[in-house]
Amino acid sequence: MTSSTRTYALLIAVVVFFLSWATVAAHPWRTAAVDPRVAALAQRRAALQQEALRVQHVLAQRWTTYRVALARRQAVNAATAQLASAALPAVSAPPIVAAPPATSTHTS
Amino acid sequence: MRTHAFRAMGTDIELLLEADDDSGAFAAAESEFERLEQVMSRFRPDSELSRLNARGAMDVSPDLADVIGLAVAARARTGGRFDPTVHDAVAAAGYDRTFEEVEADTDAGTGSAPCGGRVELDGLHVELEPGFRLDLGGIGKGFAAERVAERLALAGPCLVNAGGDIALRGVPAEGVWPVGVEDGPTLGLARAGLATSGRDRRRWRRGGRELHHLIDPRTGTPAETDLVRVTAVGRNAVDAEVLAKVLLLGGEREAVAAGVPAVLVTADGRTVLAGGIR
Repeated sequence: MTSSTRTYALLIAVVVFFLSWATVAAHPWRTAAVDPRVAALAQRRAALQQEALRVQHVLAQRWTTYRVALARRQAVNAATAQLASAALPAVSAPPIVAAPPATSTHTS
Repeated sequence: MRTHAFRAMGTDIELLLEADDDSGAFAAAESEFERLEQVMSRFRPDSELSRLNARGAMDVSPDLADVIGLAVAARARTGGRFDPTVHDAVAAAGYDRTFEEVEADTDAGTGSAPCGGRVELDGLHVELEPGFRLDLGGIGKGFAAERVAERLALAGPCLVNAGGDIALRGVPAEGVWPVGVEDGPTLGLARAGLATSGRDRRRWRRGGRELHHLIDPRTGTPAETDLVRVTAVGRNAVDAEVLAKVLLLGGEREAVAAGVPAVLVTADGRTVLAGGIR
């Protein structure tokens, strides 16, 4: 073996050694550590999404309550208007009489 | 004046007839009440109304179609203040059997049920919105009183008093029928119907709370009103019965403003004459 061949072989061996060392030093079998700031942001995002859903639910409930109350109020107003405008059958008021009652009316 | 009294539809019935002989008219009237009760009762499981409520849709008799038609028209006319679909609300409040069988006071809770269900009436075919059942208690006695008065009138001028719901045909020799109003004046009726609705009877307690049978369709629970009792004058007993309930639910202020001839008894014990009665 010539001296140049030995030198090349030594160089290759050194290169292989350093490549192996670099590979092992990189710990390729470990997963990358999660950045705590990213984790906090993800947690915050999830909490905000839940809060938004809760607010939407509350709003939907209040909107339903309002619509029901509005419908009731409108029905009352319509009934009052009908009563006031004598939409119901109108009859003349009967007189008060002094005669003894032949029968009587009461809650049944 | 001939009179006849009996019980039907869970109340006292009184017939007045100006004739020398009733010629079986009273017996026929009593039979007619029994027949109509078998049509309209919600307490008889074999009544026509109970069958309709159980099935949800069916062809009914002309009588049931008539009274349902009147009830639906009254609901439209009163903006829903009168409602025949209060059945489940009345039952939820505890009045789920004849009043004689309702326990006067228990710790059982009460609930409410929605009212305002759709009622389709096409000729003799009736279809109810699923989940709703009919209670004709708010109009049935007035309807029966009118029907019986129609028959009794064949024998002479008559008055039919079905538990306070009064139908007339003709007038007696005195010119008017003097009818006493509880806690109110005596009214001279000639051509009208008269009815009283109140929360002073048919009351019971549930869980310490006092309840009554007059449901406010807007809430599905016994009505809260400053009136205890309303006696209203209408074109006939059916109109009067509807008016009395609507005025009671509306309270004193609305009842007075409505201009309907009526005698109002307030929760604080006053008797108010409205609609020109004086």
